Amino acid sequence: MNVTIQEQDGNMVAILAGSLDTAAAPETEKALSPLNDVEGKDIIIECTDMEYISSAGLRIFLGILHNAEDKGGHVYIKGINDKVRAIFTITGFSNIFEFM
Amino acid sequence: MKEIIAYIRRKLSVRVSLWVVFFAAIIFIAALGFLFYQARETVRQEAVSRATQILDKTSLRVDSILNRVEVASTMTKWLVERHPDKSDSMFVYSRSMLENNPDFYNCSIAFEPYYFKDRGLYCSAYTKFVGDTIRTIQGGSENYQYFFTDWYLMPKLLGRPCWTEPYMDLDVATNTSEMVTSYCQAITDQKGQMIGVINTSLSLNWLSQTISSIKPYPHSYSIMIGRGGTYFVHPDTTKITRQTIFTQTLEQPDTALTALGYAMQHGEEGMKQMSINGEDCYVFYKPLGKTGCSMAIVCPESDIFSGFDRLRRTIMTIVIVGLLLMLYFFIRIITRELQPLRRLAKEAEAIASGQFDAELPDFQRIDEIGQLSQSFGNMQQSLVKYIEELKETTAQKASIESDLRIASGIQMGMLPEKFPTREDRDDVQLYASLTPAKEVGGDLFDFYFRDEKLFFCIGDVSGKGVPASLFMAVTRSTFRTVSAHESMPDRIVTIMNKTIADMNKNHMFVTLFVGVLDLPTGRLRYCNAGHDAPLLVGVGVGELSCDSNIPVGFRPKWKFSQQETQIFTGTTIFLFTDGLTEAMDANKAQFQMERVNDVAVRILANQQHDPHQFIAQMTEAVHQFVGDAEQSDDLTMMAIQYIRKQSDVLMRKNIVLPCDIQEVPRLNVFVEDVCQTVGFDEMVTMEIKVAVEEAVVNVMKYAYPPEQRGDVTIEAASNDVRLKFTIIDSGKPFDPTIQAEVDTTLPAKERSIGGLGIHIMRQNMDSINYERMDNLNVLTLRKRIKR
Repeated sequence: MNVTIQEQDGNMVAILAGSLDTAAAPETEKALSPLNDVEGKDIIIECTDMEYISSAGLRIFLGILHNAEDKGGHVYIKGINDKVRAIFTITGFSNIFEFM
Repeated sequence: MKEIIAYIRRKLSVRVSLWVVFFAAIIFIAALGFLFYQARETVRQEAVSRATQILDKTSLRVDSILNRVEVASTMTKWLVERHPDKSDSMFVYSRSMLENNPDFYNCSIAFEPYYFKDRGLYCSAYTKFVGDTIRTIQGGSENYQYFFTDWYLMPKLLGRPCWTEPYMDLDVATNTSEMVTSYCQAITDQKGQMIGVINTSLSLNWLSQTISSIKPYPHSYSIMIGRGGTYFVHPDTTKITRQTIFTQTLEQPDTALTALGYAMQHGEEGMKQMSINGEDCYVFYKPLGKTGCSMAIVCPESDIFSGFDRLRRTIMTIVIVGLLLMLYFFIRIITRELQPLRRLAKEAEAIASGQFDAELPDFQRIDEIGQLSQSFGNMQQSLVKYIEELKETTAQKASIESDLRIASGIQMGMLPEKFPTREDRDDVQLYASLTPAKEVGGDLFDFYFRDEKLFFCIGDVSGKGVPASLFMAVTRSTFRTVSAHESMPDRIVTIMNKTIADMNKNHMFVTLFVGVLDLPTGRLRYCNAGHDAPLLVGVGVGELSCDSNIPVGFRPKWKFSQQETQIFTGTTIFLFTDGLTEAMDANKAQFQMERVNDVAVRILANQQHDPHQFIAQMTEAVHQFVGDAEQSDDLTMMAIQYIRKQSDVLMRKNIVLPCDIQEVPRLNVFVEDVCQTVGFDEMVTMEIKVAVEEAVVNVMKYAYPPEQRGDVTIEAASNDVRLKFTIIDSGKPFDPTIQAEVDTTLPAKERSIGGLGIHIMRQNMDSINYERMDNLNVLTLRKRIKR
């Protein structure tokens, strides 16, 4: 699981690549923790190369969303593939995240 | 006639009056009848005594006349016998006889031929009235040789004085004749030699007038007959001397008249009632002294009773007119008295037609009609009140009925309507029916599928109607609520019992059978709370053995027991309420368990035990038994047939992992490999991978205490229908299927972190099933293979 965070056009972009299963979740959560400190910027999670996500991964996404919303920011999910989008859909996450 | 009867039936006044007059008439008729009879009898007696008196008087009078004739004759005879030699004296004697007795007709003193030599052959001093003068002449002549006549010969031959039969006396000088009867007495000389006859005659006409002048009644008349029955006196003068009393009987035999004739001839005295010339008459008769005649007074009955008849007619007229007047006045009076009743009837009619405010007349009377009027007024007021109440009640009732209809709809809506059949499922098919005895009932059944388990229940609430239906609704919703988080029937029933008992203030209860059929294995777990034991219809027919638990609802702390059995493919579980066994026919005989068994055996024999057919046939059997009788209790039946066929396992793989989440990638590789083998596409593989990961991670995280190492075994098996993952661990019992699921519709802020795993499992797999077996948690996830 590879996680890259960079600033792009005034937004924080987190690029996730690989399988976000339960085993990879703690490590990924730690890698994404800088996003919790972001203020005044929108967060874009780039998922083009994310192949898989389990509920542990979804919890991380939800944590980021809660944090950002507390600070008045937006979280956008980008480039998600159909398989992963299916998980978002059945869990209702597609309703609470904004996709671009 | 019919109209008159109809009128009388309609008019009370006429009817009552008729009755009164009818009885009055009967009394009058009886009294008057007796009176008339007595009066008539009295009149008759009176008539008899009067006629007899008159007859006696007449008879006496005739006797006295006759006596006078005899005395006068005897006196003259004495004179003649003192001076028998002077013929001229005879004329003087004869004359003086009539002078002294002007009512005599004539008198002859006749002598034997040549008695007086100077007179020659004939000497008869014959005196007779001519007008008012008395004329005495020599009576004998060539033409009238008196000594050959009856009157002359009779005393001579008899040797004693006698009265002759009436005969025609011819007066030669005037050539007039007269019917007379004569008293003839022989004259003798001193030697006792008969020298002549003194003949003194009475005119029959005069005698007749004398007799006929006696008239006791205006139309009565007298008759007199001689010894031979010849009429001497008769109102019809043509009959006198020409006819006898018997003449008439020769033409028309008349025994009464004949008898009268004989009686009179024989000188009898008496009275006879007879018909003369078609008229009823009383005839009083009596012999007339020495003459040998008999006289009779004929009194027509109409004459005797004319006064009486007049009286009777008058009285009858008065009575009839009186009765008619009575009838008229009675009708008038009763009609007047009943007038208020007619008004009341009219008012009642008005009230009956719905005018409850109709003003009632005040009759100011204290009699029965007044009381009736008052009662009527009270009734009217009460009616108004009751109608108001009735309206209210009816409205309430209609509202309740409408509510009941709605309630019935709601209640029926609570019950499952769609029953799975062979087309819908390959493991079980089911059918149920519920027929409440009233609009709403206390029976319930329910079933639903959760994961790969069929949860079902059937129950019967004590009592019927609305209370039972409310209790039923509570029971059913409690079943749903509790069984959502409990998979063990004993737990479900125990919790339901506690919940229901806590809110059961009315001491109602429900007999309940709760079953959970594990569809993959056919294991049936069940808990029977006082309900009828179901039938198992498979190879044979038999009752499912049930523990004797108490019904649900009144012992909150009761611990219900659970039982278990294996249901084989093809077996039908038949559940019912006591509405089936206790269904009653018109004679109150019950259907009973034996019949249920018999019907089940028959159905099985005909191989018609698929649930729908089974219930249809059982229903028909009950209907046939019950006939037209009213349904006595709610009737509920449910049939569940287990039809799963075990397929051949095509693939079987397994992996044992230590409980460490770092092993998840290995798991995912295993799952991917299996999915590839089975041939799922990437999308489905992804879904299965996530679901299995969630299930296994659950075990890895929570099955064992942190310090304890444990393993989790994942078995994958597939037939040509499904792919099955079985996740087994020996950790603490944990049923993830009863855990609360996340609400995926909530906004981000309200979304919690947990509860996603079980949701994903359910969503991604076709079925998920938990079993605790042999101290192992066994979780099964299945996915249908699309071909």
